[in-house]
Amino acid sequence: MTAATPARYWRDPGAWRLVVILVLAIVTLFVLVYPAIYVLIGSFRPGGGLVSTTETLTLRNYVRIFQAGFGRFIFNSVVICVAATVISTALSVMAAYAFSRFEFRFKRILFMAILFGQVFPWIVLINPLFVAFAAMHLINSYIGMILTYTAFTIPFSVYMLVGYLVTVPKSLDEAAIIDGASRWQVIWLIICPVMLPGFVATATYAFLLCWTEYLFALAFLTQTDLKTLPLGLYQFFGDDYVDWGAVMAASVITTLPVFLLFLPIQGWISPGRIAGAVK
Amino acid sequence: MRERLFITTMLLPSMVLLALFYGYPIFDNLRISFTDLSLLGMKKGGNWIGLANYRELFRSGDLGHILFNTFIWLTATSVLLRLLIGLGIALLLNTRALKMLRLASIARFALLIPWATPPIVAVVIWRFLLERNGFVNEALMGLGIVHQPIAFLADMRTVWPSIMAIMLWNTVPLIALSLLSSLQTVPEEYYEAAELDGATNWQMFRFVTLPFLMPALLVLGLMSVFWSFNNFVYVWLATGAGPGTFTNVLATEVYLKAFVDFRLGYSSAIGMVMAAVMGAFGILYLRLVARRQLEETL
Repeated sequence: MTAATPARYWRDPGAWRLVVILVLAIVTLFVLVYPAIYVLIGSFRPGGGLVSTTETLTLRNYVRIFQAGFGRFIFNSVVICVAATVISTALSVMAAYAFSRFEFRFKRILFMAILFGQVFPWIVLINPLFVAFAAMHLINSYIGMILTYTAFTIPFSVYMLVGYLVTVPKSLDEAAIIDGASRWQVIWLIICPVMLPGFVATATYAFLLCWTEYLFALAFLTQTDLKTLPLGLYQFFGDDYVDWGAVMAASVITTLPVFLLFLPIQGWISPGRIAGAVK
Repeated sequence: MRERLFITTMLLPSMVLLALFYGYPIFDNLRISFTDLSLLGMKKGGNWIGLANYRELFRSGDLGHILFNTFIWLTATSVLLRLLIGLGIALLLNTRALKMLRLASIARFALLIPWATPPIVAVVIWRFLLERNGFVNEALMGLGIVHQPIAFLADMRTVWPSIMAIMLWNTVPLIALSLLSSLQTVPEEYYEAAELDGATNWQMFRFVTLPFLMPALLVLGLMSVFWSFNNFVYVWLATGAGPGTFTNVLATEVYLKAFVDFRLGYSSAIGMVMAAVMGAFGILYLRLVARRQLEETL
C-alpha cells in the first residue's frame, strides 16, 4: 500500500481475503474449543448450568458423584489399565525387538497380521470372547479385563515400538554383545534408556486406549463394583432423567488424565502414525 | 540355534495372546453363527441350525435399513465430510496470513482439544449441547433461526446430522493435523513457479497442492472407513440406536441381538457379515496401507 492511497485499504482484495480467513479461523477455533470449555464450566454449576440461572460456581457435583461411588470406578479403571499397560508394553517391547533386529521365517506375515490387528472390528470378537470368558469365569473379573486390554493394545504398541527401534543402529547391540553383554542386558541397559521417550509415548497411548474403552467393559463387566470409569460415567444417564451436573463432573474427571498425559506426548507421536492406529 | 530360541521367546507371549484374542474368536464366531446359542443357555450350548441365522438375516426387513445407515451415514457421509473439513482446516491453518498473526499455532493447539477428548466424553459434551434447553437450541432461538427447541437426538430429521456432528468434532482434528504436516512438505518453489506462470489460486491448489496431498488423503480416507464402519460408541452412546431403531447400524445390531435379545447365534451371523465387508476393505488396506507401513517400518 502506497502513501498516496491511505484510505483505500478496503479496496485491496488482499484485505478482504484476510477478513474472510480471520472469520473462518475464529469460527473454527470457537467450534473446536468452546464445547469442551462449556462442559468444564458446567461441571461447577448446579445441574450443569442447564436448569439454574445462578452464576455461582460450586464443587457440589464433584462431591455428589464421589458420594455415589465414583471413586470405585476410578480405582477399577486404574488397576485394570495400569496392569494391562505394563504387561502389554513389556510383551510388545520383546516382540518389537525381535522384529527390528532379526530375520526369521514368517516375519513379514506376522507383522502384516499385527498391522491387520489394528483395524480389526472388535465388535465381531465380543460374542465368542463372551462365551469363552463365561466358561472360564472371566466375566466380571479384573484378570479378564486386563487380558483383554493387553491383547487389544499389543498390535498398536508393537507397530509403534518397531518404528522407534529400527532407528537405533544394530551396531550398538553388537558392540555390547562383543563386550560380553547378553541380549536381555542389551535390551534393559542399552535399548530401554535410549528409547525411553518412545516407550513412554507408546505406553501412555496404550493406557489411554484402555482408560476410555467402552465396548468390552460394557459386555464383560456387569457387576457395579467392578465397573470402569466409562461405564460409571454413563450410569448418570437415567432412562428419562439425566443428572447433568454429575455427568459433567464425571466427564471432567475422565478427561483430565487424558489431557495431562496426552498433551506432553503428542509431540513425540506424529499424527500420521496415530492415523494408522486409532480405533 | 540359540538365536532362534531367543527370537521365539521374545515373540511367543504376544503372538499367543493375539492368537487367543483375534484368531480363535473369529473362527468360533463363525461356528456360533451356525447355532441357535442363547446368552441365557450358554451352559447347555446351542444346537447346530446350519444357515438358518443367515437366511433369517437376509430376509429380515430391518437389514436394508441397517445397511443403509451403516454404509451411507456412518461410513460414506462421515468419511467424506471428515476429509473435506479436515482439508479445509489444514488449508486455512497453512495460509500465510494466519501464520504471520501466530494464530496458526494457537489453532493447532485448539485442534488438540477435540482430538484428545475421548469419544465417550465427546458424546456427553454434544448430548449436553444438543439438549432441549442446551446451548445449540438457545443459540438458534436467539438468532431467530428456529422458534421451538429441537430435540436433536430424538427427531428423525436431525438425529443423523447430530451424530455426524459429534463424530466430526471428535475426529476431524486428527485428519487436519495429518494433512497440515503433509502440506508443509510442499516445496515453496512449486508455488513460486506456478505464480510466475500466472496460475490462479484454484489452479495452484488443483495442480500443486492436491497431488502432494493425494497419498495422505487416500490413506486417511481408508483408515477412516475402518474407524467409522466398525464404530460402536458414537451411535450407541448418542442415541442407543434410536429413536426406536432409526439409527441402528451393524455394530449396534450385533450388540443388541446378543446382549439385549440374548441371541448370540444370530448376532454372530451379523458379525460375520461385518467381517466379510471388512475383509474386502482389508484387501485394499493391504495394498494401499499395510504394505507401505511394512516397507517403512521394517
